[in-house]
Amino acid sequence: MKKRFLSTLLSAVMTASLLAGCGGGGGNTSATDTTDVQTTQTQEAETEVTASGGEETLTVWCWDPNFNIYAMKEAEKIYQKDHPNFKLDIQENVYSDIEQKLITAAEAGDYSTLPDIFLMQDYSYSKMATNYPGIFTDLTDSGIDFTQFTAGKVADSTVDGKNYGVPFDNGAVIFAVRTDIIEQAGLKAEDFKDITWSKFLELGQKVLDETGCPMLTSSGGSELVIMMMQSAGASPMVDGKVNLVGNAALEEAISIYKKLVQSGIMVDYTDWDQYIASMNDGTAAGVIQGCWIMSSIQAAADQSGKWAIVNMPKLDNIDGATNYSNCGGASWAVSSNCKNVELAQDFLKTTFGGSVELYDILLPNAGAIASYLPAGESAIYQEGSEFYGGQAVYADIVEYANGVPAFSYDAYYSDIRSALTDAITNVVQNGADITEEIQNAQDTVEFNIGG
Amino acid sequence: MKTALSYIVLCIISFLSVFPLYYMLCGATNPSIDVIRGKLVPGSYLLENFKTLIEFQDLGRALFNSFRNSLLITLFTLLICSIAGYGFEVYHDKGKDILMSILLLAMMLPFVALMIPLFKMFSAWGMVNTWMALMLPSISTPFMIMLFRQAARSFPPDIIDAARLEGLSEMGIFFRMYIPTMKSTYGAAMTVTFMNAWNNYLWPKIILQKNESITMPMLVANLKSGYSVDYGMLMLGVLICTLPTAIIFLCLQKSFANGITGAVK
Repeated sequence: MKKRFLSTLLSAVMTASLLAGCGGGGGNTSATDTTDVQTTQTQEAETEVTASGGEETLTVWCWDPNFNIYAMKEAEKIYQKDHPNFKLDIQENVYSDIEQKLITAAEAGDYSTLPDIFLMQDYSYSKMATNYPGIFTDLTDSGIDFTQFTAGKVADSTVDGKNYGVPFDNGAVIFAVRTDIIEQAGLKAEDFKDITWSKFLELGQKVLDETGCPMLTSSGGSELVIMMMQSAGASPMVDGKVNLVGNAALEEAISIYKKLVQSGIMVDYTDWDQYIASMNDGTAAGVIQGCWIMSSIQAAADQSGKWAIVNMPKLDNIDGATNYSNCGGASWAVSSNCKNVELAQDFLKTTFGGSVELYDILLPNAGAIASYLPAGESAIYQEGSEFYGGQAVYADIVEYANGVPAFSYDAYYSDIRSALTDAITNVVQNGADITEEIQNAQDTVEFNIGG
Repeated sequence: MKTALSYIVLCIISFLSVFPLYYMLCGATNPSIDVIRGKLVPGSYLLENFKTLIEFQDLGRALFNSFRNSLLITLFTLLICSIAGYGFEVYHDKGKDILMSILLLAMMLPFVALMIPLFKMFSAWGMVNTWMALMLPSISTPFMIMLFRQAARSFPPDIIDAARLEGLSEMGIFFRMYIPTMKSTYGAAMTVTFMNAWNNYLWPKIILQKNESITMPMLVANLKSGYSVDYGMLMLGVLICTLPTAIIFLCLQKSFANGITGAVK
């Protein structure tokens, strides 16, 4: 009898393990749950999950205590002046996890776990808004004046004419130069300002010959090529079609990239940490990157006064080519699960979309450069920076941001990037033909997006 | 000559395995910029790194959460999987082999494939942000059941018969005869389960949505998320995150080896 009881008990344990365990049983069971049950229970979950205690509490997901979390805390303080009951519940999440959580929630059809506000990388807006529109609250008619931000930046978080994000940090591309190294070749930082890539190759060669130091460092992949494309406004997606073949700017950019690597003017690292090290230890005399790279450059405090910032070179013989581009940056989105949309919108409007005071705090303390235009005019942006030999770098960067041409990946940022990375690797390392590789990249992207 | 050669090979291999640990130690005691520049000598910056770490991250809570989760998960896993494994081997039933095959098949499914259905299930039950939701998917794994079943195979059936004759209950046999003989299997299972539970990242991150639920791997991930990374602080975080699993492994090393190779001598 006892034995039978034990067997039954063991079977029960087994069934429970199958249900809840690593096995697939659990997942399948849930899929057959009826919608009714789900809805009622989701509502129960909702009250438990969202951390919005009082009426005026907003939950925020973002990721960097020195940067965007700090910014949110400062914004909270500013908003609290007029709204003493207002509070933020900031949850620290790595960006890839934010995306993972958004996708999991959207795929499961349960938005109740989403926060009120989250920070999203600009390159993801198109992809997420196209695939999971249910995540967002449309901010177009929220009263936030989007004309007060740099146009290129607003375009990144605008999908099908709807604004989904309030721009936060600036990703304008800078060319940071080690003045002490180029001086050994008889050059000054101004010599690199407003130049073309052919002039750059000439100067870079000179620096390499005289000092033995490569002019540029790169983190590999397609980042630099894409920056060059954007500097000419040559979007990889036009009217929903892949625009790689016949994209003159792309062809020119890859051929310059090839020359940079082969001549030794640029060193190429596949590892990000080595890339950062090459700036800090003087392996290379400069770097072209989004302006957020400055915090990494400034980590080498002993190089203070030895750096200068100029704009990036522009492509020769390409219509619409400029010296300005963009890489990175993020914007604040309001989720569809936001309990108090008006409050969230008013908070963003009053702080990130309307407070020069906030940006004045963020610049010196977090190094966050505004994409909010009125902030760029404030006195603090005009001050010289000791690290950059007294240059008013922030005013310059805001000016660069203004010149960035609009650029579109549609929803296919990662597809385009990886296809171009393959193409560039083949051209640079295996000597493949540029036109052929661009054709391959176009075919790959078209195949992946099923167009 | 042969011995000398094998010693040289062994030295090289040991160096290769120990070097990352040494580098981590150097990193944790140096300022970020020295780590980037590849300094290979331990420095004196440990305290400063520690101060920055606790200033930006809730280290105490992360350690507490990680220990609590891992210990509870380990305890439940050992209990449930060992009973299951023992049951599979000792009791006979027509369906048990089919059931075992289904279990083993489930082992082939990667976790990412189960994640969304699991999340959907727990969210429908209102269990998001609960410890139950964190633990349930981990406390019974096909691998552990298989390990205990294999171990039970070497447990002599005569002992069970003798115990039954002496009037010991079935549960009594399990707890008083089986468990004491299988110490090394439990040791091995404990090491593996604790390490997995400690290092688990994706599921806790998905199902526990609050800052207060932070675990050590999440803390380490947070350290690397910014535009500029403080490598000294990061290395210290990694070091603290690695220590408990390393200590547990070192303590249970002997029974781990025995448990994997065969429990009963």
